Parts: sequence; C-alpha cells; structure tokens
Amino acid sequence: MQLANDAAKSSGYVPGQPDMWAFVIFESFLFTGYFVVYMVCRTQSPELYLQSQAELSLRIGTFNTLVLLTSSWSVARCVQAAREGAFQSALKQAYLTMGFGFVFLVSKVSEWAQEIQKGFGFSTNEFFSFYYFLTAIHFLHLLIGFIVLGVVVYQLRSPARRSLELVETGATYWHTIDFLWVIIFSLLYVMR
Amino acid sequence: MNASFENRLLVVWLALCAVTIVSLIVGSLDGRVAHGTNAAITTSAIGIAVVKVRIIFREFMEVRHAPILLRRLTDAWVLVTATSLLGTYFAGLAFSMG
Amino acid sequence: MSAAVTVPDAPTGSLWHRIVWHWRHDPKRELWFAWWMMVIFYNLYGLLFFVVTRVQPPPDPAWDVATVVEWFADHHHGVLAGFGIVFVITGFIVPTNALLAYSMRRMSVSRAFAYAYLVIYSLSAVPGMLLTCIALTAGAMRPDRDPELIHWLYDFAFMAFDGTMGVFLIGSLVWMAAILLDRNRVFPKWFGYLNLCNALTEVVVAPAWIFKRGAFAWDGEIAWWINMVVFVIYTTVFITLLRQMIVREDFGTGPLPELAPKEATAAEEGAEAPSGLMGTAR
Repeated sequence: MQLANDAAKSSGYVPGQPDMWAFVIFESFLFTGYFVVYMVCRTQSPELYLQSQAELSLRIGTFNTLVLLTSSWSVARCVQAAREGAFQSALKQAYLTMGFGFVFLVSKVSEWAQEIQKGFGFSTNEFFSFYYFLTAIHFLHLLIGFIVLGVVVYQLRSPARRSLELVETGATYWHTIDFLWVIIFSLLYVMR
Repeated sequence: MNASFENRLLVVWLALCAVTIVSLIVGSLDGRVAHGTNAAITTSAIGIAVVKVRIIFREFMEVRHAPILLRRLTDAWVLVTATSLLGTYFAGLAFSMG
Repeated sequence: MSAAVTVPDAPTGSLWHRIVWHWRHDPKRELWFAWWMMVIFYNLYGLLFFVVTRVQPPPDPAWDVATVVEWFADHHHGVLAGFGIVFVITGFIVPTNALLAYSMRRMSVSRAFAYAYLVIYSLSAVPGMLLTCIALTAGAMRPDRDPELIHWLYDFAFMAFDGTMGVFLIGSLVWMAAILLDRNRVFPKWFGYLNLCNALTEVVVAPAWIFKRGAFAWDGEIAWWINMVVFVIYTTVFITLLRQMIVREDFGTGPLPELAPKEATAAEEGAEAPSGLMGTAR
C-alpha cells in the first residue's frame, strides 16, 4: 500500500482501471451531447423554460449538489484509507458514501413526487421533459453506483480480496456521478 | 491517515461546498421569479460548474498525478462542455435579438 | 494450457489458393465464416436501411395522414426492393449471434451467459427489425389502401423499430456482466463498460413512445441521432474485437493469449513450424 502512496505522488499514476477512465470519458462526452441538445432547445423557447424552471426549488438542487460533493469526499477518503491499509476506516467511508447516495436518492424521488403533485410531469412541456430526462438518466447512473459501491465494500471486507485497483475503479465511477450532477444542477436550476 | 492528504481533501471539499453556495446566491439574484434570460447569471452558473468539475477531476479523482493523456482528456472535456454550452446559449441570444 | 492444434503450413500464393486452403484446413474456419457473415450483414443492413429503402434516418412522427401516404409513395420501390432483400438475408443474423455467444463460451464464466444472450438476441430480431420491415412493406404494397391504415402501419413500424430496445438492453447487460467477470481476458474491460454505455442508450429511446416531436421523438436528437452514433461506434468496436478474438483463439479453456505484434508472428512462422496458435494470422 505504501508503494501505491509513493506512486500516487509521482507523475503518471492512473487511479483504478484505465478501462473505467475510458468509460468515464466516453459517458461524459455523451452527456455533453445531451446537455447541448437541451441548450439548443432552450434557446428556442426561453420564456417557457424560464417560467417552468421557476417551479423547481433551487434550494433542493443545492442540497442535492452538497450531498453528492460530500459523498465524493467520503469515497476519496475511502481510497486513501485503503491505500494506507486502514481497511476498517475505508469500509466506514464506503458505507458513508452509500449513505449520502441514499440521501440523494430519497431527496430526488421526493422532489419528483412534489413536481408531479403540482401537475408537472414528463410530458407537461419541453423543459420538464428535459428535467425528468436528465435527472432520471443521472439517477440511473446513481443506482449503478450503488452496485459499484457494493463491489467496493465486498472487496474491502475480506482480507483475501482487497484489490486496491477495484476500490479506486469504483471511486472513479462514483465521482462521475458527482461531477455530472454539478453540470446538470447548473443547467436545470441555476442558469437563466 | 496521511495527514496532509486528508487535509487537502477537507480543504477541497469545503471549497467546493462554498462555491456551490455561491451558485445558490447567483441563482437567486433575479428574485427566483422568471424575469428574463440573464447572460451574467448563466455564465457564472456554467463557469462555476466547470471549475468545480475540474477541481473534482484534479483533486478527488487524482488527475493531478495522472499521465498527461488523462490530464489532457479531462481538460478537453471541460473545455468542450463549457464552450459548446455557452456558445449555444450566446448564439441563441444573438439570433433572438437579430 | 492451449490445445495442441496442428495445422499444415499456411500457403502463400494467390488469394483463391489461400481461401481454398483455409476452407479445407483452418480449424477456425467456422469462426471466420461467422465473422465474415457478420461483416456482410452489418454492411448490407446499413445500405438497405439508409440508402435503398431510406427508412433511416426515421421520418417525422408528427406528420399528418396525407404526408405519410406521400412518404410511402416516394419510398414505394425502395421499400419493396430493399426489404425484399432484408427478408432473404435475415438468416445472416444467426452466425452473428452465434459468434457473440461463442465469445462468452470461451470466457471463464458460466455457459448460462452465452445461452441467455443467444435466446435474447434471437428473439430481438423479431420486434427489432422484422416487424418494422413487414409493416413498412405492407404499407408500401397497396398504395390505394385506406390512408388511415397506412398511417397506422407507419406508426407501428417505427415504434417497433425504435421503441423496443428493452430486449437489446438486457442482451448488452448480459454481455457486459460476462466480460467483467471473465478471467480469460477474452475482451478488454473497457469493452464491458462500453456495453453499459450501449445499454443505457437503449433506455434513452424509451420516451419515443410518448413524444411525437422534439428531442425525444423517434427521430429526435436524443432518442435517435446520439443513440445512432453510440451504436455505430459500439458495432465497429465489437466487430474488431471479435476478429482479434478469433486470431487469438487457441481452443483452450484458459486465458486467451494476447495478440502478438505482427513482426514477431512473422518471425515465429519463419523460424519454426506453426503450432496453430498464430497460424492463421493474416
């Protein structure tokens, strides 16, 4: 583990499988495609988007962002603990990350429920189509993230299995959920 | 736990949260009622977002220590995303005014 | 441990001579046959759907009845000819799916993955391709049919094609799971993740059932165009990786040997009798 720490300090260390990084880059560009389509559609009906956007709660969006940022923090600490051989600590951080993910999940589902109760569904108008689409496809990535964290926990629990590479790979995936949400937040909740 | 790395992560997290609160303020600037398109708010929102993403890449995802290809690829994504989003937005503004 | 497969020396000479030799002696001939059928199929598929019948990129779901009837009239000959050919070459899907299932058999994971994939993808051709072809052919066949019926066939055809991605989704996930669990290194892990990307784009098509215009309609930027880019990349990648798998194949049950550099292969073949490992490298 100490070797990994030294390697991390020198230049040229790829955390986790490079394969996962390929996925992250590819998926990120795919999302950029979705974001650009959203932006193009938005510029064509700005009033509709502005009015609909006012129905969303900026506070909930901010809360969501803070929760995911914190989950990224805990998964980064998990990796660091695993590197130093502090596996119990790493496990704790992994569970914390899952916990924050779950908070996001509950928050998002209740936000959707609130919007639907107010009468804003997937086909209400173009803004809401994008709102549900972007948050839902992100949510799907979050659900996959739980499976990924499950793999990380599974690795950390047994001394026989502890693969640092898999833990780092899982963390890389989890951070993707976080940074994609950061963009989605700015596009759906903040921009005018 | 390696103290300096731990501290660094803490500082990064606090900075990201602080910047997020700034977005909240920026997004509330027009009174949270639909007034009109606001280029300043949008530029700040997207600008802040990509800065946050780059920090996440470099600090949380450790791209700082990664080979140059990965650093370039992540920076490229940040650049492409920011440019295409802001470019589209401003093109849209220009066309609607013209 | 790789199985000892002894093969007479691969000939050098005219293309025809080499093809005949491979047909007779190459232990991988079925694999190569399947691979070539797959390449031919996908090329024909692209040609037939995009150029001959011109049903892809898909037309607008928001058109009124009169416009739809006009579309059928415009595409009458292309549809009948093109889909006539599609019905004949549908069988080409068989070796394609077989080769993909074979790749999973070669992995260290349970054979159940290969069988599940085979079942799913064999069934998926019905809604995913054939129903569309049948409906559009029926629509084009009698131009004097009641326009409302023609409109119905139009909707049915494109919903069948673009809206039934669920089957392909599960297939991609099966392949992904097999690749990520595999210890024989048949495919690189990034390809497992690419299967996940492909599976997710199948989910993205789902809104096509609801929207008749915009980015989420069956011809929309998100539900069709971006998906098509991912699909083309995905298909090109797996065709290439399957080719590499066949070259690397040693008919054993352990890890698949890595692809040797071409120079090393040529040197090996020159220096000693080919062991069949790389004997069919081109």
